[in-house]
Amino acid sequence: MTGGKIWHGVERSKYEWFPIINYDACTGCGLCLLTCGNSVFKWSMSKNIPIVANPGSCVLGCTTCGKLCPENAITFQDDPKKFIGKIVRENKIFPQVRKELDDRLKKYPDHVITEVQEVARK
Amino acid sequence: MPESSFSVWHGIQRKDINWHPTIDESKCVGCGLCVVTCSEKRNVFGFDPENKKAVVLYPDNCMVGCDNCRIACLWDAISFPEIGQLKQLADLLVEQGTIENELKRKLEADSSLIVS
Repeated sequence: MTGGKIWHGVERSKYEWFPIINYDACTGCGLCLLTCGNSVFKWSMSKNIPIVANPGSCVLGCTTCGKLCPENAITFQDDPKKFIGKIVRENKIFPQVRKELDDRLKKYPDHVITEVQEVARK
Repeated sequence: MPESSFSVWHGIQRKDINWHPTIDESKCVGCGLCVVTCSEKRNVFGFDPENKKAVVLYPDNCMVGCDNCRIACLWDAISFPEIGQLKQLADLLVEQGTIENELKRKLEADSSLIVS
């Protein structure tokens, strides 16, 4: 074990996934830095632009910063759905997902939905 | 998790922003990946163990712009609204100077975010 980040049992560091900034298009608005919940970005004061400082902290398959970027200046290594599908299949993650689901529902019992509740919600 | 914790997005009421997953029940196989892909603090999904279906429980907890659950779903059972409306909002927020002000405040509060 490396002690690094784990994505549903898969070592994060096995895969390359992080935002790539096209500085010809970037206007330095800063929305990417504000949006990212994983501190992937830092800010260059001298150039007034975002820097991808922690690429390994980027959540596998996440493209939120890229989707919000007003200039479409952020791209990723691959199509996210194709990328995640490949990881899910080659690592057979579903036993781990099952365990995580059980743990999540045990911890948050209000998230266990019965059929009656579901009908009532509709 | 109360829904109110994420009630405002860059000054806009979260409830006024149309952004959350919708599950096509006929495609959902109940694998649970969407439920656990969504962060514990947002926890948008519930789960119906009897029928083995994910359920969108707290749509307004959904992080604006995030669709990692849709991306993770191998069965294409999750859809989101068009991204265009969010882009428009983002454009406006940048034009108004809201994002610039927030960035300034964030960098002032945390100098570790700054590189030369």
